[in-house]
Amino acid sequence: MNDQPDSPQVLENARVMVVDDNRVNRHLLLALLERGGVRHIEMAEDGNDALARMDQFRPDMILLDLMMPNLDGFEMCRLLRADPAWKDLPVLVQSSLNRAEDRAKAFAAGATDYVTKPINAVELLARVRIHLQNRALLHDLRLFRERTETELALARKMQERLLPTPDRLAELEAATGVRIHAHFAPSSELGGDFWDLRIDGRGRAVVTMVDFSGHGVGAALNTFRLHAIGQQMDFTDFSPAAFLATVNKRLCALLPSGQFATMLAGVVDLAENRFVYASAGSTRPMLWAPGDAEPTLAESAGLPLGLLPSATYEERSAPLPEGGRLFLYSDGAIEIPVGGDVLDEPGLASMVAARIGETDDRRFLDGLLDALRATGPIDDDLTALVLTRTG
Amino acid sequence: MDYGIEDKDQETVVRLRGRLTFNDHGKLRALIREMLQTKAKRQVLDLSALEFVDSAGIGMLLIAREEMSNVDKLLILRAAAGQVKRVLTVAQLNKIVAIED
Repeated sequence: MNDQPDSPQVLENARVMVVDDNRVNRHLLLALLERGGVRHIEMAEDGNDALARMDQFRPDMILLDLMMPNLDGFEMCRLLRADPAWKDLPVLVQSSLNRAEDRAKAFAAGATDYVTKPINAVELLARVRIHLQNRALLHDLRLFRERTETELALARKMQERLLPTPDRLAELEAATGVRIHAHFAPSSELGGDFWDLRIDGRGRAVVTMVDFSGHGVGAALNTFRLHAIGQQMDFTDFSPAAFLATVNKRLCALLPSGQFATMLAGVVDLAENRFVYASAGSTRPMLWAPGDAEPTLAESAGLPLGLLPSATYEERSAPLPEGGRLFLYSDGAIEIPVGGDVLDEPGLASMVAARIGETDDRRFLDGLLDALRATGPIDDDLTALVLTRTG
Repeated sequence: MDYGIEDKDQETVVRLRGRLTFNDHGKLRALIREMLQTKAKRQVLDLSALEFVDSAGIGMLLIAREEMSNVDKLLILRAAAGQVKRVLTVAQLNKIVAIED
């Protein structure tokens, strides 16, 4: 913000158009504005003349008379406001009409402010300055918002790029016999959810899913930190509990007080027909075999990451036969309000049961997400992934 | 979320009501300041009327625990029920905060 909105530059740089059919009035206003420090002033003789000059002069403000031949001030103001480019332009009406009805009519036509003739020089300049300052502030805010939006969009693309690509997922399916379909939706531009699929040194599929506390930019930055930590980890013979313990130690050193993450890390063991996993307070994984009527809710108690450096994690496992499926989700899916309570895991499990026979991943997840959205507002990041054993 | 403080001889009891989420950051900060000014060593958060807590809310409870411990006070989470109790249990927070029924 180079231009301080309260500096004299606001008036010096401002472009003001004076619209009045009376030549004496026009010159009076011109002299007045010049004395106040305004340098760029355009004069128009009536509404038509003013509208014709708009695009070339591009005013920051208009001083508008109401009673004019050809096109009067009311009608000109209405036409001006119909153009989106000028909908926020300050229009200060200066008129000898001083009945309340005239003022109301001017404001209804789109005027920003109103002063009555005879003009009080000090008051007019004060009002001109206020409107120009507001406009400069609004302009700065708009630029700032645009820049923030651009940067957030960029950051979001970067975050999405941390996730496995469809090509990578196809490659992993061929190598590990595990297919994954995921839905990833931050509640704002950026979120604190993150998931990954890798292959360990024994050719097994390793899946991780994390949810940092809070959401927005702060939580999103932590997903980048976690990704960096993941790149340095040993995946030769994946042990979920040891993995969580190591990540926890690293995060304890990084996360400020009050921030933490819940995480699930697991590996699909084809030989044992099991999903072996450890949880740091994640949601409960759901698993089912072909023909099951409802999913099994597996245990997930565990201290979240980033709270206690010495924390250890329990290794658990659940059956996952060929054709079996695993459903993982962030807490956004179970914290949807239902009556006085929340949906919670059993509520979500019954939604899964309702479409348990749907073998198409996309239709399964889309159907589930539609059901969730129909349940209530989702105001947290929402990640859901369905993993299927194809081999 | 709103709260009521009852300052007793042996302990300060703060009753939290409603939903504790991301948006209550300012309120919880103010509450922590109030708790720091009371005399009792035992600072009890009575959660029986708290209906919901999200991850940011848990984070704020952990900050409260730390702030109390910095001045040699003890934070106790008491009588959690429903979703709040389930969240505290799944996160095994009894490992780092005193939790009472």
